[in-house]
Amino acid sequence: MSKAAVAPQSPLSRFWHKWRFHLNILLLLIPLGFMPKYFADAALFRGDSGLGERELGEIKVGPWSVQLAELRDEPPRADGPAGYFKSFNLALCQACIPEVKAAYLRIGKPRSLRAAGTIFFGTPYRMGTSLPVPVKTRADAEIWITLEGWDGSMQQAAIPLSKASPATVAWLNKQGGK
Amino acid sequence: MSQKAKKSKSRLWFLVHSWLALPIWFFVLIVCVTGTLAVVSQEIVWLANPDVRASKPDGDAERLSFQQVLDALHKAEPDMAVNFISQPDGSHFALTASVVFPDGSAPTLYVNPYTGAIQGKSPSFSFEAFTRALHGWWLVPFTNGYSWGWYLVSLLGLPMLASLVTGLVVYKRFWKGFFKPTLRFNHGARIFWGDFHRLSGIWSIWFIAVISITGTWFLIQAILGDNHITISTEPVVPVIAREDVPRTESGAPAPRISLDEATRIAKEQIPGLDVSFVSLPGNAYAHVYLGGRGWYPLMFQTVNVNPYNSKIEAQFLINDRSTLEFVTESMRPLHTGDFGGLAIKLIWAFFGLVLSMMVLSGLLIWTKRTAQATAAALKREQRPRKQTATATDTATEASL
Repeated sequence: MSKAAVAPQSPLSRFWHKWRFHLNILLLLIPLGFMPKYFADAALFRGDSGLGERELGEIKVGPWSVQLAELRDEPPRADGPAGYFKSFNLALCQACIPEVKAAYLRIGKPRSLRAAGTIFFGTPYRMGTSLPVPVKTRADAEIWITLEGWDGSMQQAAIPLSKASPATVAWLNKQGGK
Repeated sequence: MSQKAKKSKSRLWFLVHSWLALPIWFFVLIVCVTGTLAVVSQEIVWLANPDVRASKPDGDAERLSFQQVLDALHKAEPDMAVNFISQPDGSHFALTASVVFPDGSAPTLYVNPYTGAIQGKSPSFSFEAFTRALHGWWLVPFTNGYSWGWYLVSLLGLPMLASLVTGLVVYKRFWKGFFKPTLRFNHGARIFWGDFHRLSGIWSIWFIAVISITGTWFLIQAILGDNHITISTEPVVPVIAREDVPRTESGAPAPRISLDEATRIAKEQIPGLDVSFVSLPGNAYAHVYLGGRGWYPLMFQTVNVNPYNSKIEAQFLINDRSTLEFVTESMRPLHTGDFGGLAIKLIWAFFGLVLSMMVLSGLLIWTKRTAQATAAALKREQRPRKQTATATDTATEASL
């Protein structure tokens, strides 16, 4: 340490010596800054702030109806080689709870019940799924909700992707037809 | 040369040791303190909130089975849906039930294990979750893979390990400290904190090693995860095949086996299986998922039971783990100390506190020594050169 005091210091090392302990303050500001986000997320997952960040309201699916919401109002998230995924939450109407066996989501019209897309998991009041969004999805695509009844019946409804998730469409446009 | 080289080498070690945590000492201290709190966060909540206690109605009351608890929940709240029911470690804790109400709110309920009565609802601020999030990832959200806060905290495992190693190198013949513990109160603060730092250091060698190694594992885990490398042998359980889920002519849900039946089947086919939680099927194609700690208490054993045909369709037991997984899966419980009930947690919390004090005492020593060194440096400017060399040398050695 004594040597350092005698040796001529570069501006960088002087800067470091003067400010190094302020690193603590910077580091402490991080959790303080993220605290509002932390509590907003906690409320979101506890269902205190609704079904999702962006609710799409009531959607009629044949004789049944569902509430659909984007979990987060943001573009799809990458999951490595599996591609990009977008989380949606869904709630069944009170009357259809005993009749609906399963709910599915898919980009584009499913050809059959076996290809209805990704299945929702959870309770009837709050179930979620991760919808795969291929990068080459067209911006004018539709997402299809398929409800399967315990009696084997199948009901479907479609909503434009631009309505279901504007952030996803903006992201797709930015991908520039890759 | 050897004497001199040895001296300068040990001095270098000493400098490295002094500087390891220094510029970020307060960050390190808060990580240690929040980690200590996180270890006993469940117990703190138990003390603060009577709802989470498993109060026994009278002397010989029996604990209810999972199905009995579920029935009681449905009776109390007919419209409520249940995700899972779990018994936290320790019979003094109430059962927790993750539920969803028709308005979409999804709290955790505290349920009396003897009566099935709903004692309370988790508050919107979860002390356990908050201390863990603060300690584990500095509250930085996970948006794309692991949060960078996770990296920030887990990186501390490396300087902590280095502090342990350099500390032991610098503290010559440290094992003597075990037989002749020294803690001098009457020689000023500098001496006291020096003794304290060394004494608590040698007694927590094992703990610092455990925490820093497991902490470094969290760093490796994040690196593996973000590069999509998996070492897990846990089966990825597909949903129940379409043909195995009955279609009903009436349009009403097909009957499923009870939670107790699922538990009985699992226990019958897997000897020694402990069931401390039961997860209800997440949809018509999902299993009843249940499990508990195995004979090796650091790991859980889990079973997926088909609720229509009562078959066990997947299981992940202690013996299914690879050798590598035995090591890596042990890391988390070794870090958190939540594998052996209250006693282990209290030991972890105690040494967590000692570790926090080591950061603090290390800082105090450094501040005092720097003050001395500065004073010495000021004096040196007024004195002839010869004396200064010895003065600084002794200052450093004395501060050992």
